Amino acid sequence: MNPDVVGAIATLRAREILSSEQAAFFDRVARRGLVSVRFEIRALLYAGVLLVTSGVGVLVAQHQDDIGPLAIATGIALAAAACLLWVMRRAAPFSWAEVPSPGVAFDYVLLLGLLLVAADLAYVEVQFTLLGPRWPSHLLIVSGLYLLAAYRWDSRTALGLALTSLAAWRGLSIGLVPAALGLGVAADLRASAIVLGTLYTLAAGLSVRLARKAHFEEVFANAGLLLLLGGLLAGALDDGPAWSAWLLATLVVAAGVMAAAFRLRRSLYFAIGLVAAYVALVRLLFQPFRSGPHADSVPLLLAALLGLAALAVVFWAHRRMRER
Amino acid sequence: MRREAVAWERAAEVQAAARGWRRVGAIDEATHARILDAFPDPCVTPGVVWRVLTGAMVAAIALCTLAALALTFSRSSSAIQGLLLVWGAACLLATDGLEASPRSARRGAAGATSALGVALVLLGVGLFLAETTHLRIDDAIDGLLVATVLAGALAAWRWGGPLFAGLAGVAFFCYLARLPHGRLLWLVAGAALTGIAARGLDAARLAPSHRLGAAVLTVVGLAALYAAANVYSLDAASLEHLARLAPSRDDLPAGTRLAAAVATALLPLAVLAWGLASRRTFVLDTGIVLLALSLVTLRHYVHVAPLWVVLTLAGALLVVVALAVERALRRAPGGEIAGFTADPLFADERRDRLLQVVPAVAAFAPPARPAAPEPGFSGEGGRFGGGGAQEKF
Repeated sequence: MNPDVVGAIATLRAREILSSEQAAFFDRVARRGLVSVRFEIRALLYAGVLLVTSGVGVLVAQHQDDIGPLAIATGIALAAAACLLWVMRRAAPFSWAEVPSPGVAFDYVLLLGLLLVAADLAYVEVQFTLLGPRWPSHLLIVSGLYLLAAYRWDSRTALGLALTSLAAWRGLSIGLVPAALGLGVAADLRASAIVLGTLYTLAAGLSVRLARKAHFEEVFANAGLLLLLGGLLAGALDDGPAWSAWLLATLVVAAGVMAAAFRLRRSLYFAIGLVAAYVALVRLLFQPFRSGPHADSVPLLLAALLGLAALAVVFWAHRRMRER
Repeated sequence: MRREAVAWERAAEVQAAARGWRRVGAIDEATHARILDAFPDPCVTPGVVWRVLTGAMVAAIALCTLAALALTFSRSSSAIQGLLLVWGAACLLATDGLEASPRSARRGAAGATSALGVALVLLGVGLFLAETTHLRIDDAIDGLLVATVLAGALAAWRWGGPLFAGLAGVAFFCYLARLPHGRLLWLVAGAALTGIAARGLDAARLAPSHRLGAAVLTVVGLAALYAAANVYSLDAASLEHLARLAPSRDDLPAGTRLAAAVATALLPLAVLAWGLASRRTFVLDTGIVLLALSLVTLRHYVHVAPLWVVLTLAGALLVVVALAVERALRRAPGGEIAGFTADPLFADERRDRLLQVVPAVAAFAPPARPAAPEPGFSGEGGRFGGGGAQEKF
């Protein structure tokens, strides 16, 4: 029971702000007379998908010699087909607008089907080496499948997997973040991150402008901005001769992102831009103090002052966005 | 907590409920506005992103300044300890100031300073105990655990942070594990804490954040009770490893193992039954997690089938059970059975769907391909990457 809400409902009813029907229903929910278990159903479905894919992984790892590659590949394909057939039967007709999910299980069965398809493709590729030395290209194929599924069945999760699979095909993953923050990232990976980030960000803009799955904008843009600014920052944090050019590029792009986010009232994009700009400026602050009597403490104090300035920007931007 | 802070929290609870009613169209805009007028919340409450950003910036400022001061003035260990304690105390004072104003209480800064303050004070205390007082390491650990319990409890009481309540609870049980008969103490204290904390879950006299803290302590109590009763934990002497002196296995009274096996089976069911009877979803969730742990324990002792069969069947079973529950609730009269429904009620369904993308993509995204593919790939060392599973084959 939420005693504060229960008390408030009685007050609101007494002041005739709520009707008796409204008050009765709200009161029942506030007293836990009616409780939603939607989250629990979702959590069970998610855990189920996780366990099934792990089971398939263990099966392939431990028993491929016993069962045989053809049987394993066929078995996984049949399971994937069963899931996707279920999805096709339940799915609403295609629309470029947001389509309500037909049920709480829909997204998870779709996810399971797609993961099994991807696992089967990977297994077939490893067993039968269809792509030969170009075997990482199976990630590109998987990414394409995810993308098709995302648009057909209006799934942000499938879109997120498509974008991360495409990044994985180019050699990028979340595991590279620590390297980007200090240990260095290869130049070709940086370039891939910047190109993919730019593409994703453009896709976000086009989704909205052309009204083609406009609600995919957040997935495209968040992935794009993380890749784009991450790639630029990796160059700025590098000790190579061109670090200053990378730093300038980071600051220019971050400023652009913050300005666009401010105009569009997107707080997460603004935060990504601000953090990238802050890290880049801290890198700049430390550069003149690489040696000397106060090599350690002065840049740290300056970084704290810079943090104060960033905090002022955060407060200002939040207030202005609310006012607008 | 300050009286006015409690009042702000209560108003915020009502406003949050009203937003939910409005979101699903149960009230119109005019009614919503009248509710906001009737229960005004003077606090500025930015969205999660703004709060996290503010907290991160405040933490960066505090830590950079502390590091600069430490590098400039503190070259000895005792000076570092003093600095940590002073800076931690300053952060705690700043928290109290921030919490006093409706303009700053919920902006994220107070959360950052309180967490930093507690962490720095505990770090200072730990260094003081270990290096200045030259206590034995066991005594220093005990002292630090007691300090953590006190700091967490005081912070939870003063500012209402449920995470601090959880910190105090965990440290409390870690301390008990170090005493003689730690397992027995966990059983008794776990049951006692669950009972006491559960009484505060619906208490109108408590602030909303204190009620949340009571929920966290209930879960900590249940977890401690289960950990002490679990048969694998008994066999592996998991708790005894935390003690100063591990007792020999001969110390266990006869029948202890059987009692533990029975408790491993029954405790999750009892928690599930409590969750269903009281219709508290967090208790239900705890019961589900404990049941999963008991099944893992069973699998450890009884190899009913190969691992892949267990995983696949368990996963399929979960999916089927979830689908069956959802279908049963949907088809029931009024869409509810015994007060449970699969409808989202007043939750923000769109936000929840957006949030579900993050764990799914994080768990199932394939690993990056190697920098340069080897010519003539033979399949060895490849990964089950496309599906997100991590098994090599």
